[in-house]
Amino acid sequence: MKLAVSVPPHIKLDDTIASINWTKIAVLIPVCMVSIYVFGIDVLSILLISVFSALITEAAIQKLQNQELTIKDGDAVLIGLILGLLLPPTVPLWIPVMGAFFAVALVKHAFGGLGSTLFNPAIAGLVFLNMSWTVLMGVDSVPHLGQYSDIMLELGAGRLIEVSPFALIGGLYLIHKKYIEWRIPLTYLLTTIVLAVLIGEDLSYVFTGMLMLGVFILAADPATSPITKNGRIIYGIFCGILTVLYGYFSYNYGLAVIFTIFFANAVSPFIEKNTYPKPVDEVMA
Amino acid sequence: MTEEVIEENAQEDVQESRSQVVIPLLQHKGVICEPLVSVGDTVKIGQKIGSFDNDLGAPVHASVSGEVIALEERPHPICSKMHSVVIEYDGTQEAIRFKGNRSANKDEILETLKESGIIDLDGNSVYFKLNTGKIIDSILINLTDAGDLSSNFTPENIPQIISGLKILLKASGASRGAFVVKKDDGQTNSALKGKLGGEDDIDLFPVKRGYSSTMLNLLAYEMTGMRVSNIGIPADVGVLIFSAYSALAVSEAVLEGIPPININVTVSGAVKQPGVKRSVVGTSFREVIESCGGYVGKPGKIIVNDIITGIAQFTDEVPVTKATTQIIVQSEDEVLRDKPGPCLHCARCVDVCPANILPGLIASQSDIGRYDECEKLHANSCIECGLCSMVCPSKRHLLQLIRYSKHALLRSFMIREEKESSNLKLGCASCQSPCHMGAPMIFVEGK
Repeated sequence: MKLAVSVPPHIKLDDTIASINWTKIAVLIPVCMVSIYVFGIDVLSILLISVFSALITEAAIQKLQNQELTIKDGDAVLIGLILGLLLPPTVPLWIPVMGAFFAVALVKHAFGGLGSTLFNPAIAGLVFLNMSWTVLMGVDSVPHLGQYSDIMLELGAGRLIEVSPFALIGGLYLIHKKYIEWRIPLTYLLTTIVLAVLIGEDLSYVFTGMLMLGVFILAADPATSPITKNGRIIYGIFCGILTVLYGYFSYNYGLAVIFTIFFANAVSPFIEKNTYPKPVDEVMA
Repeated sequence: MTEEVIEENAQEDVQESRSQVVIPLLQHKGVICEPLVSVGDTVKIGQKIGSFDNDLGAPVHASVSGEVIALEERPHPICSKMHSVVIEYDGTQEAIRFKGNRSANKDEILETLKESGIIDLDGNSVYFKLNTGKIIDSILINLTDAGDLSSNFTPENIPQIISGLKILLKASGASRGAFVVKKDDGQTNSALKGKLGGEDDIDLFPVKRGYSSTMLNLLAYEMTGMRVSNIGIPADVGVLIFSAYSALAVSEAVLEGIPPININVTVSGAVKQPGVKRSVVGTSFREVIESCGGYVGKPGKIIVNDIITGIAQFTDEVPVTKATTQIIVQSEDEVLRDKPGPCLHCARCVDVCPANILPGLIASQSDIGRYDECEKLHANSCIECGLCSMVCPSKRHLLQLIRYSKHALLRSFMIREEKESSNLKLGCASCQSPCHMGAPMIFVEGK
């Protein structure tokens, strides 16, 4: 009789990298559909080109370096999809190609690939596009949630993601499945709303689809946020403060979320280093 | 003093058809027992067949009557191969006279426990745990370990477990005893509350999570609020923690004089009739599983004691020892065949870690040979519960990497000069110069 001998543990949870990434993609699908409904079938080409350029870039890099192909784990698809959703509907079709190439090649793989990225690839890609082709990246309108129905369907959206904050409600499912942890989304959302109310900002400009994406997907991105428990709370509060600061002085809460998380990614290792927990068994002096 | 002499057949509820038993001479943490019998001797049930000179170990007893046919290395559930006494069963139920003592004083109880060689589930003998010389304030019976609970905590056993706790209180001089029960474990809670009506010095202590036998320091911290150092034991803060199995065995040994030769084992997984089986020490796993109706399909893995931290066996000929509580059989398609990927920094290991350290980070540093960083990140505080490896979505071997760094730190020494990279060298220190034993230099420059 042949018996398998292996190291413990002998049972593991079913969650894998692929299941986490594909669930996040599924959470983003409703907002893609609403944006196609609002902006027309043309935006589908932006999303598809963005996703496929990201996939092709990842496959090419891994082929060139003789690595195992990991496009099935959905990470490149997720980067491409988020980048496509962050773009305005009016961009020429070569913009997502450039952005996805920059995000996957220079932000993800040049820094060590999955899990080792310093910045969130999609955000860094958008920042790169914004700085290089500012005129092309301009938006036609800034979302303003004048009435309650705008939470469901915001026709004044300037970017694909801003069409419907409600369509990102699936983020709660991610928290329920523990694919993202509750500390960052909760502290980020609470700090933003409380601060915005305190300084007398109109909440209808603050509460956009971009903020919801930032709260549920971008800020809580595992690789770029602190791993310590206290660090995550500090990180969430830090993101909230920065978002309100950027938004208050630039009148653009959408881009405020992007640059907030870009900057917060940069200080996340510093927060992590300074919040290492004390082990339980340490003998008190 | 009234002394009762009980002479009885200890084998009444154990199945008959068995040809030989294999009794390992090491079933605890400590030294290997010296065999007291030689090949050809006839032994009786309960006869001492292995002993030692000092207080560290636990003697072993014959669990069947018959002839010693071999003294050789046989498979062992933890040590892979171990010197064992092989006894061929002769069909008689001849036992030595078991002497019980219902009103023993402290010294008599300690002497009985030393002779009976009861081993707690953490591998230490009960006598050794009681005999640390530290002042003991309270004694806890840990009823949160799932395997121990399912094997030994049955309604019929509760009075015996309570009397075992009372004997342990008497032997240690502690003033209070308590049962530690999971808050959401309603069955155990209600079963205990009914029996604890008249006891004043025994409490129920509800805790939120389960504590296995490796997590006793953590349980002591939860109980007392005092932190136990990672090389310390719960007795450092005045608490002794035993399992339900030890309490049961103590009451059997002191009140009836029977050493632990009959063990309750829970068999679960891919067997036809899973359940609790009472087996004698030395029965092979194969016989225990056959008494449960045999395997369902082809077995893929046999795990002893705990599915998270238990040891996978290379053969089903390993014997049941005194510290066996659970046998888990996995079918072939249940066996994990996953491949570790890169760390996502998702921090799920940090969220589940009961020792409050950063398992993922320590494992990454251990993977690249930076054991000095592992020490700074408190790798030595790891209690090896295995939860981090279980939840890791990337299927990394976190438990093994942390264990590896702990072993490396044990063998390491600091060198004086400051260096930019690792300032730890590994090995026995004589490796810096060419080895006098002629061995090649193995650990040079960190990795």
